[in-house]
Amino acid sequence: MDPLREYAHQSRRDFLTSTASGIGLAALAAMFREQGLLASEAANPLAPRAPHFAPRAKRCICIYLEGAPSQIDLFDPKPKLRELDGQPLPESMTKNVRFAFLQKETARLMGSPRTFTPRGQCGMELSDFLPYLGECADDIALLRSMHTDSFNHHPGQLMMNTGVPNFGRPSMGAWLTYGLGSESSDLPGYVVLNSGRGTSGGASNWSSGFLPTTYQGVLFRNQGEPVLNLNLPPGLSPEMQRETIEALSRLNAQRHQRVGDPEINSRIASYELAFRMQAAAPELIDLAGETRETRAMYGVDRENDSAGGRGGASDVFHSFATNCLLARRLVERGVRFVNLYHASWDHHSNLDKELAFNCRMADQPVAALLKDLKQRGLLDTTLVIWASEFGRTPLGENRPGYKVVNGRDHHPFAFTLWMAGGGVKGGQVIGKTDELGWNVVEDPIHVNDFHATILHLFGFEHTRLTYRFQGRDFRLTDVGGKVVDKLLA
Amino acid sequence: MPLRLLTLSCCAVTLLGLPKHAPAGADATSLPAAANGTVAYERDIKPLFERNCLKCHGPEKHKGGLRLDRKADALAGGDSGRAFEPGKSAESLLVAYVAGLDPDQVMPPQGKRLSREEVGQIRAWIDQGASWPETSSAEANLNAAQTHWAFRPPVRHEAPVVNHRSWVRSPIDAFIAARLERERIEPSPEADRATLIRRLSLDLRGLPPTPEEVERFGNDAGPNAYERVVDAFLASPHYGERWGRHWLDLARYADSDGYEKDSPRPFAWRYREWVIDALNRDLPFDQFTAEQLAGDLLPEASLAQKTATGFHRNTLTNKEGGVDQEEYRVAAVVDRVNTTGTVWLGLTVGCAQCHSHKYDPISQREYYNLFAFFNTGQEVDLPTPLDGDHETFERAQKTHDTERLRRERLLAAAMVGRPLQETPGAFSRAVLTAHVNVLAHERKAPVFAPSKVQTLAEAPKSRKTYIHIRGDFLRKGDEVQPGTLAVLPPLDSADASRTRLDLAQWLTRPEHPLTARVAANRVWKQLFGRGLVATVDDFGTKGEPPSHPELLDWLALAFQELGWSQKALTRLIVTSGTYRQASASRPELADRDPNNVWLARQNRLRLEGEVIRDSSLAASGLLVPRIGGPSVRPPQPAGISELTYAGAARWVESQGPDRHRRGLYTWFQRTSPYPMLMTFDSPDSNVCAVKRERSNTPLQALTLLNDPVFFECAQALGHRILRESSAEFDARLQRGFHLCLARTFTADEHRVMVRLHERLVRQCESQPAEAVRLAGVSHADVAAWVVLARTMLNLDEFITRE
Repeated sequence: MDPLREYAHQSRRDFLTSTASGIGLAALAAMFREQGLLASEAANPLAPRAPHFAPRAKRCICIYLEGAPSQIDLFDPKPKLRELDGQPLPESMTKNVRFAFLQKETARLMGSPRTFTPRGQCGMELSDFLPYLGECADDIALLRSMHTDSFNHHPGQLMMNTGVPNFGRPSMGAWLTYGLGSESSDLPGYVVLNSGRGTSGGASNWSSGFLPTTYQGVLFRNQGEPVLNLNLPPGLSPEMQRETIEALSRLNAQRHQRVGDPEINSRIASYELAFRMQAAAPELIDLAGETRETRAMYGVDRENDSAGGRGGASDVFHSFATNCLLARRLVERGVRFVNLYHASWDHHSNLDKELAFNCRMADQPVAALLKDLKQRGLLDTTLVIWASEFGRTPLGENRPGYKVVNGRDHHPFAFTLWMAGGGVKGGQVIGKTDELGWNVVEDPIHVNDFHATILHLFGFEHTRLTYRFQGRDFRLTDVGGKVVDKLLA
Repeated sequence: MPLRLLTLSCCAVTLLGLPKHAPAGADATSLPAAANGTVAYERDIKPLFERNCLKCHGPEKHKGGLRLDRKADALAGGDSGRAFEPGKSAESLLVAYVAGLDPDQVMPPQGKRLSREEVGQIRAWIDQGASWPETSSAEANLNAAQTHWAFRPPVRHEAPVVNHRSWVRSPIDAFIAARLERERIEPSPEADRATLIRRLSLDLRGLPPTPEEVERFGNDAGPNAYERVVDAFLASPHYGERWGRHWLDLARYADSDGYEKDSPRPFAWRYREWVIDALNRDLPFDQFTAEQLAGDLLPEASLAQKTATGFHRNTLTNKEGGVDQEEYRVAAVVDRVNTTGTVWLGLTVGCAQCHSHKYDPISQREYYNLFAFFNTGQEVDLPTPLDGDHETFERAQKTHDTERLRRERLLAAAMVGRPLQETPGAFSRAVLTAHVNVLAHERKAPVFAPSKVQTLAEAPKSRKTYIHIRGDFLRKGDEVQPGTLAVLPPLDSADASRTRLDLAQWLTRPEHPLTARVAANRVWKQLFGRGLVATVDDFGTKGEPPSHPELLDWLALAFQELGWSQKALTRLIVTSGTYRQASASRPELADRDPNNVWLARQNRLRLEGEVIRDSSLAASGLLVPRIGGPSVRPPQPAGISELTYAGAARWVESQGPDRHRRGLYTWFQRTSPYPMLMTFDSPDSNVCAVKRERSNTPLQALTLLNDPVFFECAQALGHRILRESSAEFDARLQRGFHLCLARTFTADEHRVMVRLHERLVRQCESQPAEAVRLAGVSHADVAAWVVLARTMLNLDEFITRE
């Protein structure tokens, strides 16, 4: 048995037998099943389903750095840019190009002060801002030739999450949950975690669009109540809750006998899953069972080491590391897709200082997540993605009113993301940008291609994972998408 | 057996004469057998070609000189000769390629190959003579499209004569019965009176009926008792709220801008107010249309008419730093075009923004003809003080004056206390401070900030409209003038002078084939859960054809003959026998009509989020039924608005009665919408929504069980039951069932509730402190009733219209 399935199976059995409430409900469920009152597995929209062909990845953790980290300072070294620091960019390159804030007539190239060193066996060059991630270089496929269509945040986030820069489409997680169902009977199939301030895209980033809302991301909080309304009202004991659910199941079943609507059976099942979630979700966020080594590896107990500028929400070091650890706990429990958001990478100014802060926050826990998944034998089947809506310009940002130029504007033409695990061939760099990092010169990867590849790893031919809406078959890759073969292990 | 025979005979053919084009080494015997049965080009082959071939052999590219989208070209073949010859599939080059006989000559060269079944279909089609309806220039396409049912004007059909005469209450029923009789199915019996009044009340007012209304109706033995209830509910001001909310879904109404900044729109509610009012006074749909699309252009437009034009001010606004203003102005115009197309035409007009529509006769040029109507408008906010505005201002003014007086007195006191020996002009520190305080206060004098109405007006400087090549507003194509679709009746005014008003009036012209059908279909959908055209937003060739085409036409014509009265149309439908049927499932029809298309019964429909909230508040007696006014912020869980950028989204809870208003008045912040509403499938209001999901999730269960708002309802209902009935258990249970379900409990239900009550009382007695927290009083029985009330508010039936 797959170690993960075994684990999920085990914990579910534990729950059913060890909690006082489990027995009654399990017995009740058995009774309903005998009487044919429970909705059939086939009718369950979250029942696990097989993809088009044998998948490499079975679950996904997508770490989304909202605002767009600078690839020039983290992933894509440009010695030439450093050499030309302070020079204007040839007009031929900026002609017909629109910027959010930058005044292109007077803008100057800005080299990165970062040191890049070869890491791992593969010798992938990474910035000194990412010491921990470098230890995982051989598991990572670095995509230096990403490009996208949008240069503003919210449309860019929609593009990266849903494949088009408009509202109304399902997000990647919704598509995968729709295609594959969920392996968890006690938790939702698609979970979203957030640290720090929210993203500008908000809930539209994990929307189910025109897909049924069952496939929408469910926002978990990493402290207090992990899911909205999980806590019982004041004075109501778990025993009363159990009695209530049981009575509701009986009353609803009686109604079903009268009117015969199968929706009533789904309602009964929903109430019972809700009841199980009330036990499973607090267990999920309770880190007491994690060893001291694990907590230390993720840096769960770290405190912010400085003020941090725009990224410096209070306790963000702790909260981001906790979310990375929770991501592992979620996929262990059968959750299909985990979205981890952190906003504040939009470094129009004060880049060196604030990017350093964000990296100190993110580098250690993200690397820990990769190592932890690997040591538990889960990395092979778990796809981990580092994503953002675009990159940042090789030009310094000189928007009117800025006294010093120490940041970069939005750059959709060439940026870097990475993937690891889940059938990805690690230890390689794919794609190349020109000497200045302005344009892609080798193996361009459009966002639609990126999505096509992810779907491929999950066993889907991206043109065939479709949903009919308004008379048309829609897909995550819209009308584009080409699988990046080099990426596949 | 016939299939096997056919296979054999095909093999015989291939063995007799190998196709002359078949490359050496190809294994012709592996050619899939021709399919059994008749194959039709339109139904079977065209979609197959479209899917697999036309990208390279279609209107845009003719690789290898071959085109498969036009009959003459396809028959002529390509550079390698004829692709196929009617009657001879085994010799066809096309078949050989798609079957992949030669690994070096496989079509399509990339992507998914055709299945053996698909190849078999092509073979059968060729063998059957390759019949291909005559086509197919753009004009021929248009001609073909004009034969599509939805583009032809509705035709008056006499109500059919049926056997179920006594069941037929209106022509609607005759159309439904005719179909049922054809299928040899009996309609369902009429629902009982309790179900009927609850159904009507939820459908027309969005609130459950009161026990008194149920009783009155139950005892009304007079003729037309049902119709009296219908008329009373249609006359209720809650009708405008209920049907207004349906319309607000289409209007993508929200209280904030959307996108990153998501700034508040404190005056958006003025448009909502207009919608509620317009529906309550039954403003005819043609005027309802004109005022919303072009109220500003009506002669001597009133403020109300300009408010109506706020329909198209509900588009998103992107104030994110660094955006290209023109890009988002264009995005708003695009949304106006697409929304108008969906709401009035029922067409997926938006598909033609980047290229001509793939299936419907909407060219890209025509898209920009429509675009031109909206491209010349500009967004205008009209200051229009409301009574309250003056009061608010005067209150602020008064507070300000009081404070100013206080500070002036302090100044005076400081001046008086000034020691005489001081030299004139040299003031003490105290005097200076007092003086500064007075001046500083003056600068904070309240400014009168009147309420505003968001509307559209024509921009003083007219803007030209160009086709946007591939939908990219930076790539301008030909200049175009305002106009409509060639497939629809012509607009008579001259090109250049056409305005939004012409467009609006054209939509409701009697010969227009779409508007009345689309609108009537939507009303039908609200009352049955499914439209006669199931794809309520797509009446085009890819939409589903109507289940009862004659009935749809009859309704569309009736709607216009009733002077476009939406109330009259609704009355017509809800008084039909079809609507009045019971909704219980019919197991014998589960296979034959799983989606209840033939309407041999009513449907059970889970209520919308707003109505679930309203029902809980109403049953518990907490509802504050005040109609209209600015949006309110009922309690929501902490941390919701913090998840977004919008600083303005901070949720300052409303106090007093505004905590218990109906759901449609809840402030809708686009980037952090009210969680309860989203959990129950409210649209996100970013784009026009014609259809709501009816999902069924554990988060809904958690909301109804544990959300403080719903628990407050449970507490209030528990106390209300005890207050309003005698002390016997049965009387209390009766009251609870009447308030929540408009009916009496059954013996089985009674048994479950008695058992639950006993167990709860026992638990509450053993934990008196908990009982106090539950019910506010130290009494086990009261606490138990709070939990019983909570159970009733969580019943599937409570959140369902049966």
